[in-house]
Amino acid sequence: MPRLALPSRVTGIHLVSLFAHAQESDDRSPIEIDFSHLEHVTPVFLAAVPATIERWKAGGRPVVLSGLEACKITSYLQRMDFLDRCGVHRAEDFQRRSASGRFVPVRPVEQPVEELAKEVAACFAPGGEDFEHANAGFFDFLVYAVTEMGNNILQHSCGRGFAAVQSSRADGMVRLALADNGCGILKSFQRVELPWSMGMSHEAAILKAMEPRVSCKSGEPNEGVGLTILAHVVSQMKGWLMVASGSGMVQVTPRCEKEAMALPEGGSYEGTLVALTVRRSSAAQFGEYLHNAKIDKGLLPVAQRHATFWT
Amino acid sequence: MTGIHTIGIADDFGSVAADGAAALAFRHRNIDPYLALCERVVIDFTGVRSANSSFVNALVAGLLEENGEAVLSKIAFKGCNRTLQVLIESAIHLGLCKRQERQCA
Repeated sequence: MPRLALPSRVTGIHLVSLFAHAQESDDRSPIEIDFSHLEHVTPVFLAAVPATIERWKAGGRPVVLSGLEACKITSYLQRMDFLDRCGVHRAEDFQRRSASGRFVPVRPVEQPVEELAKEVAACFAPGGEDFEHANAGFFDFLVYAVTEMGNNILQHSCGRGFAAVQSSRADGMVRLALADNGCGILKSFQRVELPWSMGMSHEAAILKAMEPRVSCKSGEPNEGVGLTILAHVVSQMKGWLMVASGSGMVQVTPRCEKEAMALPEGGSYEGTLVALTVRRSSAAQFGEYLHNAKIDKGLLPVAQRHATFWT
Repeated sequence: MTGIHTIGIADDFGSVAADGAAALAFRHRNIDPYLALCERVVIDFTGVRSANSSFVNALVAGLLEENGEAVLSKIAFKGCNRTLQVLIESAIHLGLCKRQERQCA
């Protein structure tokens, strides 16, 4: 049985390389994932592993999770509902405490995606339901990010997705990841025979998906601006955004640079993985960032106002 | 039917409105038919705390694409916080751009 031995620390890029290694074997041969050395994971891991395991199982490939007795973070993985989502159900020898302000356990991305968004926003931006509250900007940002990324999974991926969110006391950052086990961005373009997508690389397809008004299902109700605006807002927040799909990856860095690359070591993620890291305090001006993003992407005229607003 | 017709968004979508497909169906069912019947159609966002581009574009852009800028004298938006106002203005611009593109094609 091929064995995927997880190292002590798994970050997003490491993960897709590991998966690529696992996919070298016969697609239907059983695979063992060894957790015994695992000590640190991020939401990317928490979202992408259940999505991938579900893909393998759906394709008739048995998956065995081993080393959980020796793993130092098994209780944590249980508390995050990660093991349940991977199909492993173990008795819990700890008491569940409130996750408020700290994390949202692994959740499937399903309709209504608004409920997931509200759960995430209430966890990390309590009080933000009130538009005048200090957390209102972060509340709006989280709702925007979760619903736009969630809608992309539900409408375009042809697969299932999972989401996980966690904050870090050490650096004050909030990390959010959504991963699906669908067809990936490039194939979603090619499936509807968009002529410019033929012969395109995965990283070029991701960059294309970040352009305004590009969608694999263009026209109502898909205007293809969700990821475009999200990436621009994250860059204004000096945050970090990563999109991986197929063998490509695009990062938007805190310096507002967009870096496209092939995944290292021949890595590949079947499906689409979107992860972002932002500072909680950085979204206070979310409305302004949204406004700037719409202007910069040509989606809003600079000065002209059209609508009549009544109070 | 004449006068002002008010359409509440929160009644159907709650405080977070994010489903573009549902917004489009809502528009076809609850907004389009009243444009020819009423002097003013008020789209009331009171109670909607957050929305995303997908929802607002699906709800608003098509109104402009199909009816042109003239429809703006008929519709008003009520109860919108500043973030919703940005999304609505952008959706209007998008609808007008799409109408122009359609006419040029």
